[in-house]
Amino acid sequence: MRNYQSILILKPDLDEAQVDQSVEKITAIINKFGGSVLKLDKWGKKRLAYRVRKNKFGYYLNVYHTCEPREVPKLEKEYQLYELIIKYLVIRLEESDIERVMSQEPVESVIKDDEGDEGNNSSESSDDDE
Amino acid sequence: MKNQRKKRTLFTQKICRFCSEKIQHIDFFDTKLLKPLISERGKIVPSRISGNCARHQRQMTEAIKRARNIALLPFSVEH
Repeated sequence: MRNYQSILILKPDLDEAQVDQSVEKITAIINKFGGSVLKLDKWGKKRLAYRVRKNKFGYYLNVYHTCEPREVPKLEKEYQLYELIIKYLVIRLEESDIERVMSQEPVESVIKDDEGDEGNNSSESSDDDE
Repeated sequence: MKNQRKKRTLFTQKICRFCSEKIQHIDFFDTKLLKPLISERGKIVPSRISGNCARHQRQMTEAIKRARNIALLPFSVEH
């Protein structure tokens, strides 16, 4: 069993209930492949550096979990098939990494970043549609 | 003697910003840390300009590439 970090970008236009629902679904997916969720951070809605499936914003989830190495491709396949996820990234973590992660607080700059961006949200996205 | 002095001012040693802040591990999602290290065009700034040490430069390039993969940093700037 190894430790992994999954970053998932969900569709931006989800409400709280839908986000919680998808979190449950993702937890279920990870558990299905014999893994368990160690830590889950919601980074919230953030501006994407480039457009992903025509979305300029995305709802970021950061999940630290365990998984059997040979099940990772199947896990990724499940992420692809889950329609609310627009992009994902799975990264292997070493033992030392996971210890550091579990002890530290979520990086503030990640969370702070999106607050500023969301203010510009309405004006910028409307420009884009024209 | 004059020439020697001139040469010295030309080659001022740059300091690695990660070493000076004693950062052991560069998180790829820490965009505030990585943003100064990409150019206006979204390119990675070479260590000869940024002054980073080789070890941190390697860690940093990996971090930037991962951040690009997950749309935290741009591959290139949109027009």
